[in-house]
Amino acid sequence: MIELRGVHKAFAGRPVLVDLDLRCDRGEVLFIIGTSGVGKSVTIKHLVGLLRVDAGEIWLDGRRIDALPERAFHAIRRRVAMVFQGATLFDSMTLAENVALPLRKHGRMRAAAALADARRRLDEVGLADFVDRYPAELSDGMRKRGAIARALTLDPEVVLFDEPTTGLDPINARRVDRLIRELADRRGVTAIVVSHDLASIFAIADRIAFLYQGGVRACGTPAEIRGSDDPVVQQFIQGRASGPMETPGF
Amino acid sequence: MIARRPLTAIGRRALDGVDAALELGRVAVGTIVGALISYWRGPRRRGEIARQMYFIGNRSLLFVAVTLGFIGMVMVYQTCLLTTQVVDGRGQVGAQFARLLVLDVGPSLTAMMLATRVGAGIAAEIGSMKVTEQIDALRMSGVTPVDYLVVPRFLASVIMTVVLTMFGMAVAWGAGGLTGYYSFQINPRTFFDLSMVAPAHVWLGMTKAAAYGAAIPIVAGFCGLRAKGSSEGVGAATTAAVIGSSFAVLIIDFTISAIGLIIWGAGL
Ligand SMILES: Nc1ncnc2c1ncn2[C@@H]1O[C@H](COP(=O)(O)OP(=O)(O)OP(=O)(O)O)[C@@H](O)[C@H]1O
Ligand SMILES: [Mg+2]
Repeated sequence: MIELRGVHKAFAGRPVLVDLDLRCDRGEVLFIIGTSGVGKSVTIKHLVGLLRVDAGEIWLDGRRIDALPERAFHAIRRRVAMVFQGATLFDSMTLAENVALPLRKHGRMRAAAALADARRRLDEVGLADFVDRYPAELSDGMRKRGAIARALTLDPEVVLFDEPTTGLDPINARRVDRLIRELADRRGVTAIVVSHDLASIFAIADRIAFLYQGGVRACGTPAEIRGSDDPVVQQFIQGRASGPMETPGF
Repeated sequence: MIARRPLTAIGRRALDGVDAALELGRVAVGTIVGALISYWRGPRRRGEIARQMYFIGNRSLLFVAVTLGFIGMVMVYQTCLLTTQVVDGRGQVGAQFARLLVLDVGPSLTAMMLATRVGAGIAAEIGSMKVTEQIDALRMSGVTPVDYLVVPRFLASVIMTVVLTMFGMAVAWGAGGLTGYYSFQINPRTFFDLSMVAPAHVWLGMTKAAAYGAAIPIVAGFCGLRAKGSSEGVGAATTAAVIGSSFAVLIIDFTISAIGLIIWGAGL
């Protein structure tokens, strides 16, 4: 179980998260939605210690983790994996080496065994032909799938997906949706998914949290969000250009 | 409120400075502890240190040779011009040149060259990994970025700076000797005279070289790890690394020279 309580976070004096409360239960698929720049990526980076709160608390399975030292996050990052927004594969390593790295570092596997395991996992996501290529030689969508494979190598209990389907074609996007749903249903994996993809949001979410102006504006099942009478929420899920929502931009 | 603004800004600057100093200290301690202990414990990339040594050596060999060679020529030429003005002191030039070369010019100039080349390379590489979130991804993979990225470069740089320093000194010495012979008719047997070079000089010079080699990747790695934003941030980090590591070379030169004077006295 994951919980953020009253989290505040500012960058250079500019507040991004203001008194944010959010919880996610075990085995749940929670979507975090909101406009660009609202702080979705920032929110999930706090859960694995990549960013630190200015104020507030973060709890993981009944343990407060926000003030833990970097060393203590080692064990947490074994259990909580993350797929970054930019599909950040290490560009000095081949695809197989990328996927093998967590196995070697977290899993303490030998190099050859880790590489063999990495190849098997890449085979599962249809990247068998590309295992020895460097990230620069792959397409965006391949990189994204590689990054997902890398995040799943250690069979994590929780996976944080930052826009996993952005930039994928509809077929691969739906495959990723199916993968997330299956992880939750079959293996009890908790998934927190940041997404703009309305199709996947309403297809696979157990609950949806809508971020607005630094906090959670609305949170509920897809049906509840769809039926919300909040005009801001309605504007977002209907994708209307004008409405009550105040967003920076043009 | 308005009157407090500038103070707040100064305060924030000062806090940022303290923060950066602490961070540099953490990177330095992390690198040294990593090089002594933790790097050897965890799984490593095979051949990484050798690869980094090759990068540093290969990138800098010609650069160091050309620079040190010309500096050797200019130094000997100017010294000979001066020493022949009143009385003929040409016989002393070679011995004094060797002493100066071993004690200071060789290590410091080589390190200055490496600070620009190696420092910029390290900062650009680590900085671009930082701004593309690869450093965060490394942390998620159970890797300590300093252990993984800075330590192998540190070890490679310490070794290669010492090696390149010896190479650079040899080139400068040879170039100086040729200049002395062709321009001022100094007999090479007179010029290549090591009687002024004491073991203490060699010790100090090599200690300096090793210290420079240690400082450059630490400063450059620190700058890279602090890169912010996008490619602009990488550029800023690279510039900061060149300035910072050159500056570190000067400070270390001063410090080790001062320590040498304290230990061996003015007879050095
Ligand atoms: N490391 C950082 N330093 C400074 N500001 C940051 C940093 N990370 C995020 N921000 C700022 O925090 C705000 C929220 O960023 P975040 O990346 O969480 O947005 P997002 O909701 O994920 O948007 P998108 O959908 O475009 O990915 C942005 O205004 C961004 O400029
Ligand atoms: Mg984001």
